[in-house]
Amino acid sequence: MLDLLLQPLSEPFFVRALLAIVLSGTTCACLGAYVVLRRMAFVSTALTHSILPGVVGALLLGLSPYLGALVAALLTATGAAWLASRKGTSEDSAVGVMLSVMFAAGIALMQQANSWRDFAGLLFGSVVSVGREDLIVIGITAALVLFGLRVLHKELELASFDEEYAALLGARPALMRAVLLVLVALGSVACVRLVGALLTTALFVIPAATGVLLGRTVPQVMAWGAGCALLGGFSGLYLSYYAPAVPSGAGIVLCCALPYLAARLFAPRR
Amino acid sequence: MSRIITALSRHLGEAAFSILPSIPYAQKELNGCPGIAVSAKQLSAAARLDGPVAFHDATFEIPCGCRTALIGPNGSGKSTLLRVLAGLTPIRSGEVLVAGESPRLGRSRLAYLAQRPHLTELFPLKLRRLVQMGTYAHHGWFEECRHGDEVIDRALTRLGLADLAERPVHTLSGGQLQRALIARAVVQGAEILLLDEPYAALDQPSREIIDRFLFEEGSAFTVVMATHDPADLGRFDRILEMRDGAVSTRHACSGHDHRHA
Repeated sequence: MLDLLLQPLSEPFFVRALLAIVLSGTTCACLGAYVVLRRMAFVSTALTHSILPGVVGALLLGLSPYLGALVAALLTATGAAWLASRKGTSEDSAVGVMLSVMFAAGIALMQQANSWRDFAGLLFGSVVSVGREDLIVIGITAALVLFGLRVLHKELELASFDEEYAALLGARPALMRAVLLVLVALGSVACVRLVGALLTTALFVIPAATGVLLGRTVPQVMAWGAGCALLGGFSGLYLSYYAPAVPSGAGIVLCCALPYLAARLFAPRR
Repeated sequence: MSRIITALSRHLGEAAFSILPSIPYAQKELNGCPGIAVSAKQLSAAARLDGPVAFHDATFEIPCGCRTALIGPNGSGKSTLLRVLAGLTPIRSGEVLVAGESPRLGRSRLAYLAQRPHLTELFPLKLRRLVQMGTYAHHGWFEECRHGDEVIDRALTRLGLADLAERPVHTLSGGQLQRALIARAVVQGAEILLLDEPYAALDQPSREIIDRFLFEEGSAFTVVMATHDPADLGRFDRILEMRDGAVSTRHACSGHDHRHA
């Protein structure tokens, strides 16, 4: 049994994949706490899907795919905020418009690049192909996001719980919302190698939803969420190692859903 | 395991805070009421930016330490007036001073309690942490708030919440939550309380505790409270009546000004 766990560790790609899971899983779970508590799951889906045109565009232009992803996600966030700032368009539909426009643009760009197969990793994730440069980028974005969450913890918590009181104190809840969107954009960049643009939102929502069932304070929600993401990430990776028919991205998401299901069934009602 | 994570996060957090400057949310305010808590001249305002005016040409004064009832039928503009004083709703015309300044956000000496506070449902927060949020008024960006325990304990005791401190906020009754929000205003150090129908849907024990807190115990608050209850009015020093867009003062404050002398 122990051999089954230790044997893959002799492969460098597996160790890199584990590291990537630790870094981006923790980041996404902590950010996800606010995404779930503020009911921003749809916005986070839009941001993660808009990575597609960003990365493809960057590859066509010969730029860094991570830069493209970040720019596209930020563009989606500002675009949705601008569309919703006019009366008559709800935020919900503004996000829906941006999500579909960006994704369609991504598909059109992929046609230009003339090869769908190259982008399978982008769409569905390929944590086993994470290289050293990828790890560095993931590490930097994870550090930035966790730093932001730590130093703005009390403001983010306050603005998420009682927006009006945050405004009354002068703690700028609208700014905090914008900061959170930027952090989600950064977090999506960190996660896209793990599970792909289509499923990144799962890493924001599933672990944090588990955390909300189990935690009684925001830090507890984050800790439970991170635990769930690590457990799911590790088991998904081992699963796809021993059963290569299961792609790693799908395996990770499916394995993250198990702790959620367990918490949903067995967590005490509050 | 969780203890290790907590300790690690605390140390990393302290390191993070030590490299950042702490910036207050707003200009610091010193307490001490200048005699007149609220004065309005020809004031008019609307509930929404493009909506009709809720009241117009309101001219009135509220001395420091005066408990003022705001009465009038539904839709007469009581809530709008309170939100104007709190700095949440802009004025249309006229002028108004609250503790010597035009209304703005970020004032620690002012507390406003909405009729139905919009709190995020099922948010993982303990009552103690909610009350602690009042201390943020004296801190700011890039600062941790773990202090203020003594003030928080005192406020919790005064409002009969000491036993509930560790309870999740979403399990509190309406009355307990209302008391918690008042405790938060106390911790914030507010001296002017703007309360929008705080007694609506309150159980009797909560009502008595809030009553005692506001009207007895020699508390030195200036209170402006929207209310519908005619039985209440005897305890107020001053009554402002809002009707058909106009505001009139019914009877004046009688000698409570000495509280701040």
